[in-house]
Amino acid sequence: MAEVLLQGEQRVFMTGNEVVAWAAVAAKADIMYGYPITPQNEIMHYWTRLAPKHGKRFLQVEDEISAGFTTVGGVMTGRKAFTATAGPGNVLMQESANMAEMMRVPIVYVVQQRGGPSTATVIYAQQETTLTCFGGNGEGHRLVYSTATHQELFDYTIKAFNMAWTYRFPTFVLGDGYQAKMRESLTMYNPEEKGIQLVKPVPLLGDTTKPERQFKHLRNTYNTEDELYKVVMNNQRDWDNMAEKVVEWDEKGCEDAEVILLTHGIVARSAITAYQQLRAEGKKVGFFRPITLRPFPGKELKEAIKNAKKLLVAESAYGQFLKMVQNNIFGSQIEIVPLLRPGVGITTEEIVAEYHKLS
Amino acid sequence: MGKTMKIALAGEGGQGVQSVAEILAEAANEDGKQALYIPNFGVEQRGGVSIAYVQIGDENIGAPKFIAADILIPLSPRAVQRTREHAGKNTVYIYDNSLIQQAEVNDHIVGLQYFDVTPPNPRSEQPNRDLPQDLIAGEPKTASFMTKSQGVRPEDIPEVKKVIAIPANDIAKNELHPRVFNVIILGAVIAATQILPMDSIKNALETKLGAKFNANPALRDMNFKALERGYELVHSAM
Repeated sequence: MAEVLLQGEQRVFMTGNEVVAWAAVAAKADIMYGYPITPQNEIMHYWTRLAPKHGKRFLQVEDEISAGFTTVGGVMTGRKAFTATAGPGNVLMQESANMAEMMRVPIVYVVQQRGGPSTATVIYAQQETTLTCFGGNGEGHRLVYSTATHQELFDYTIKAFNMAWTYRFPTFVLGDGYQAKMRESLTMYNPEEKGIQLVKPVPLLGDTTKPERQFKHLRNTYNTEDELYKVVMNNQRDWDNMAEKVVEWDEKGCEDAEVILLTHGIVARSAITAYQQLRAEGKKVGFFRPITLRPFPGKELKEAIKNAKKLLVAESAYGQFLKMVQNNIFGSQIEIVPLLRPGVGITTEEIVAEYHKLS
Repeated sequence: MGKTMKIALAGEGGQGVQSVAEILAEAANEDGKQALYIPNFGVEQRGGVSIAYVQIGDENIGAPKFIAADILIPLSPRAVQRTREHAGKNTVYIYDNSLIQQAEVNDHIVGLQYFDVTPPNPRSEQPNRDLPQDLIAGEPKTASFMTKSQGVRPEDIPEVKKVIAIPANDIAKNELHPRVFNVIILGAVIAATQILPMDSIKNALETKLGAKFNANPALRDMNFKALERGYELVHSAM
């Protein structure tokens, strides 16, 4: 693997899994708890090679249930801990993610989506969108970054740790098998040299190294409905207060667009190229893409589409992203045209072809 | 907007198409270009067509995969079938038309496979007498090696801008070494794309195989010879 000195800026060419491992080093993560699953394996592999050189640690556990809970445990002791998974592994990690939601434990999970349901393919999908945003028996109090490029994988993995430790909500980096396995260039850097302050982790249960410590008890069990209601509503208020500070999106040419291409994650790469091609032909087309799926940039999307006639929603799942869109633009009269391809990639050509079918 | 060159290579597992793609993309990146390489992969360890997608250009690259390739290089009869959707009216199509016939193995567990060398783990109910007997003795036999591949059927070649047939397998086996088959292909890609100077590919090969080259300088000569041979084959046909 390439050796990167996290000093100054360095242009590198590598796989997305390798990028995530380097980003975790750059974010000063302390430990990864891991269990292998394709297409995420190399995050673990690269981390195990990097960890000893940077004074960091790794623990391979017996399954994803354990990988999730050991990450929660590591974070409770004040370590920047993370794990990575995909597909059925993501399903198993929802239990721990829910506990983290309830106890406000700032875990970071990296998800490289594969096909579903069940074992399905080891290749690619966007079928873990609903699961990652709303998995479990809670209210979906998580931050979810849906990345599209290796540069974003690097930037947002670093950011994920910072946001998790600032707002104390579970934070997910939602990639996919294509991003995991493909190679492209990006610029790596030391975030602190760029003025990005890395949030320092603190022990959530009390610092065992200090004799005057005060221990805390984090609860995920409550005796009465009222007690629980208070806690969840408190979390909801914190979530709402955080939402507008952290929400991120990208949009181009929506002001005068008749048709807006709406995508997330890697499909946004196809959409942006389609947007450029169609604009070059003088077509009135726009591009909108949420970067945070949770919180969803609903207000911004509503504003962007207010003059448009049609919304072309493309995703590599059968309507998971579409549902979030419909939910967020409720009341709008815009016509939605879905391009839904569960478990397969969507090329620029396919989006352009779908656009031409509209008129 | 600068044109991004889209290249798809396809072959049987073991033919080395993924290595070719990786070296190509890395050389382009070193050359200051934007490059993206993505393999297709499944759960199979062997048996099956492996496709590599490479894009090289001056601008940021969009989707990792594409439908129509600018350069399409299917390296086995089955890869010709599998890559049909990637052949467009502007595609330059390069395939192998060697006289050496590949062995076609229809294993009832793994499925149809092609081998241009001795299969790694032969299984056959009727061991082929042509094969080294020590390789097949004592193994459970599930398929016969008797069939010879029919090669690429002319009617399977799609309608494209240009078709170039090169006997890469023959040249590798008869003039160089079977192991440099994919380096001949790499040379062919360079000639077909004309986006990278030969030196950047040589540097990329040096980065990748430098240690082996230094241990055995003859290997370097052979690889570079294969590279140039592949280049000439396509360059003269373009």
